[in-house]
Amino acid sequence: MYQDKSYFSGLFCGIKSICIGLKTTMREFFTPKITEQYPENRKELKMFDRFRGSLTMPHNEKNEHKCVACGICQMQCPNDSINVVSEMVEVDGKKKKQLVRYEYNLGSCMFCMLCVNACPHDAITFDQSFENAVFDRSKLIKQLNKPGSKVAEKPMPARPAVAKPAAKDAEASVAQAAPDQAKAEKPQPATDEATEAKAEN
Amino acid sequence: MVLDYQIIAPADLHQEMLRLRAEKGMDFLVNLTGMDWGEEGFGVVYQLESTQTGEQINIKAICADRENPTLPTVSDIWDIANIYEREVYDFLGIIFTGHPDMRRIYLREDWVGYPLRKDDKPEEQNPLRMDAVPLSDETVCYEMGEDGKLVKRKNVIFEQDDYVVNMGPQHPSTHGVLHFRVALEGERIKKVDPVLGYIHRGIEKMNESMTYPQTLALTDRMDYLGAMQNRHALCKVIEEAMGVEVSDRVKVIRTIMDELQRIDSHILFFSCLCQDLGATTAFLYGFRDREKVLDIFEETCGGRLILNYNTIGGVQADLHPNFVRRVKEFIPVMRKGLKEYNDIFTGNVIARNRMEGVGILTKDQVIAMGCTGGTGRASGWHNDLRKLRPYDAYDRVDFKEITFEKGDSFARYMVRLLEIEESLKIIEQLIDNIPEGSYQEKMKPIIKVPEGTYYSAVEGSRGQFGVFLESRGDKFPYRIHYRSTGLPLVYAMDTVCRGNLIADLVTIGGTLDYVVPDIDR
Amino acid sequence: MFDFSVISQWLHNLLLSIVPEWAAILIESVLVALVIITLYAVFAIVLIYMERKICGFFQCRLGPNRVGKWGLLQVFADVFKMLQKEIIKMRQTDRFLHDLAPFFVVTASMLTFACLPWNKGAHMIDFNIGIFFILAVSSVGVVGILLAGWGSNSKYPLIGAMRSGAQIISYELSIGLTMLTMICLTGTMQISEIVEQQAAEGWNIFRGHVPALIAFVIYLIAGNAECNRGPFDLPEAESELTAGYHTEYSGMHFGYFYLAEYLNLFIAAGIASTIFLGGWAPLHIAGLDGFNGVMDAIPGIVWFLGKTFFVVFLFMWERWTLPRLRIDNILSLEWKYLMPISMANLVLMALVVAFKLYL
Repeated sequence: MYQDKSYFSGLFCGIKSICIGLKTTMREFFTPKITEQYPENRKELKMFDRFRGSLTMPHNEKNEHKCVACGICQMQCPNDSINVVSEMVEVDGKKKKQLVRYEYNLGSCMFCMLCVNACPHDAITFDQSFENAVFDRSKLIKQLNKPGSKVAEKPMPARPAVAKPAAKDAEASVAQAAPDQAKAEKPQPATDEATEAKAEN
Repeated sequence: MVLDYQIIAPADLHQEMLRLRAEKGMDFLVNLTGMDWGEEGFGVVYQLESTQTGEQINIKAICADRENPTLPTVSDIWDIANIYEREVYDFLGIIFTGHPDMRRIYLREDWVGYPLRKDDKPEEQNPLRMDAVPLSDETVCYEMGEDGKLVKRKNVIFEQDDYVVNMGPQHPSTHGVLHFRVALEGERIKKVDPVLGYIHRGIEKMNESMTYPQTLALTDRMDYLGAMQNRHALCKVIEEAMGVEVSDRVKVIRTIMDELQRIDSHILFFSCLCQDLGATTAFLYGFRDREKVLDIFEETCGGRLILNYNTIGGVQADLHPNFVRRVKEFIPVMRKGLKEYNDIFTGNVIARNRMEGVGILTKDQVIAMGCTGGTGRASGWHNDLRKLRPYDAYDRVDFKEITFEKGDSFARYMVRLLEIEESLKIIEQLIDNIPEGSYQEKMKPIIKVPEGTYYSAVEGSRGQFGVFLESRGDKFPYRIHYRSTGLPLVYAMDTVCRGNLIADLVTIGGTLDYVVPDIDR
Repeated sequence: MFDFSVISQWLHNLLLSIVPEWAAILIESVLVALVIITLYAVFAIVLIYMERKICGFFQCRLGPNRVGKWGLLQVFADVFKMLQKEIIKMRQTDRFLHDLAPFFVVTASMLTFACLPWNKGAHMIDFNIGIFFILAVSSVGVVGILLAGWGSNSKYPLIGAMRSGAQIISYELSIGLTMLTMICLTGTMQISEIVEQQAAEGWNIFRGHVPALIAFVIYLIAGNAECNRGPFDLPEAESELTAGYHTEYSGMHFGYFYLAEYLNLFIAAGIASTIFLGGWAPLHIAGLDGFNGVMDAIPGIVWFLGKTFFVVFLFMWERWTLPRLRIDNILSLEWKYLMPISMANLVLMALVVAFKLYL
């Protein structure tokens, strides 16, 4: 049935090509399958360490983070996913900005890394969580700083630009804590305050 | 590169263009960008190229009248200008006199205003409309009358008794939300009218209010199978404009990544074509192998589809330590996969019958319609930018530019399959000697591009992906226009499909290999 | 070999002893109808599961494996879902024809289904022009498809239905000719006799050697086309016509088409196993009495189902390997290749029979 061939040679070429195809599929029939059985392989399923799941703010064991509420990340964000609420407090006679709430809207985040790249203190990073589905959109607005946390006294030295294995454990714990937190919070006031804060800006 | 241009008055434009086409052999309209220059008026930047000599000429036409901007059409000189001018009309409201089909292209027919005008306020004039999108069977054509007034004339798209079938916007073979209105005679196609804009996001408009690093994030979302190359093109134009020279390491990394992206895209092309032609099994074989490319991407870039890797002056992160090993493991797997593709699909008599001699595009047609990439090369047009104007590390690798003469669907299919092999060769040559160096140049915290007009292009997965950038020295671009690789392909659908069967529309669409978000930017 | 007619005779006598003859026959008919419908549903479920698993394995996947062990309950869940779904009534359709179409399709395949020889003595419909009857009633299905396309008053279904008409009517010729070839060999059209002859003298595919083999291959191709299955699935060509003739159907109306598609597959395989592979007849090799004895011990129904599912597997292998043909390819394949070859094959078979060259 090839157009440029005669009736019979075309017919036999056609049959041959079909046989080759049938042979190929039959071979695949017996090869190991590639299906990944997702919820069962949750334990072994390891995301790559550069995978961008959701934004987190690593805290150390003293419940301290590194965010000084400078707001550069908020400025960098193309989608207004970040809202840094800060207050001025007086420490040793000097006025200082302090983080009250670090709000992050996972729903509108597009994982462009601009906030992480911009942060001068490496206070935020992306974790490897990927099971981010929720039933209510308001639950996607997360508060990244833990309740009662404060800024670390001495900013730790800047990380190497690529990977940050040191921060990993902290990240993992945050990743677990973050959804719980979001659940515990009442969504309504959070959004109200978010809009208020925007109006202030 | 900086775009040098001549300014030509609208009255002489058509004459001059005809002259350039005839005397200088400017047969390829690379890009056509509508502009709002504020007080200077509206205008269009035409980028012309001769496929014979490679010479490029850029023309700027300005119409100072902001109330009723008109320009003469060039769609009779270059076929592709037809759809480019419609885009300009849609966004800037410039009326092209003599254009046979002055309809909106992306926005709804009842849209008010022209969003790319700097003084337009789309939100105020266009509340959320809940009624159905109107689709007219008629179009208008404007002529310049004797007295300098516009004369409106009606053109018919579909006759009353045409049997029009809607393929899309939700249809398995349109590869996204694309809508073809197809007039049939029996099963034979009489006319195809693409209706675009179902996922138009106004990226060009959004870019005007974003800083340069922010604009980068959107390029991945245009042609998602050429995410790496799109972002590469935008980074390249900004770097060239700012005079930043990236390190050798970055150049090699970008080259390897572009080629991996091309493999990824071509495997998906193969898979989707098989799916379109009903060979579902081959579809999954393609996806099985593509998964490995995506894993390589994910490990280094942190994303699979939306990669976010190139940055201005470098790349987001250095290559992952496992990268080289993984790529080396991938190459033989891919070769084995290619053999399997050939066994199950390329040689298959049914597939051959459905592709050979179907949807022929001649070389003249592809040049006139600006169908770059594999589609152009299948018709014998040597348009590979990697060969014509080598960028990054392409000048130091040895690879063939795959071209065919026949220009049918099978040639288009083979170009892509053979290009996978060429891409593998490029990667093989580079992977063992990635030079040392920094992966990111030191950039200022706020990136400002010096005033001027710039254009830069890379060879994307499906053709020349170019970025036109006009800067006024701010931290925001004044105007960014992307040369879509898919728009000419969709425009070509009408020409290619006429006279073929409706089943061939699927084959042709599959082999042209367009990606919808790239068309609807 | 166990003869099923013993049971049916016993049942008949039992009923006769309680009720008059007309009532006994009525009760038997109802019983048989119930059995057919049950088997019909059971085989549909088995086939859908089998197709999904086999297709998965061809495609390097596992297929359904979530509902129940190895996904065994997946199809039940799907059937249950489909039963619950609303049957959407659309404006501007020809309601009568639209609703009638699925029943045509199902009835046609049920009638054909009833002709299969399950075991020695277990035929539901068996008379001297059995093959004729099968050819006739299986063609009724195409009326249903045409009605579905026309009654939907929509463009995709109409194109799909028209393609289907052209395709099925063409391929009926090949099917008819291959069957004629085999009838030439067997000398009878009664299905029970065809099978019994094969039980006695060996399977037709061995007896008729070359022409029978050619006929078998042609039947495999044409049978797939008759079932509207890939690579001949262009009446419903997913990538062109979304779902072809049943685009506008929902709920159980769609379910009937789906059911009939799979049952037609089973029927085509069943007929192939009847006329080529000996139906319920066990495999005998001349001279090996011990082996033959073992083969005889396997019940006929197992033989029949085993052969049928083997042919079904061949059909599925074909479907999941090849791309879809285009309408003009399909017609040229039939009229330029299959038809002439099967005609020549018929002549060849006639010669074989005339010169007693069969085994």
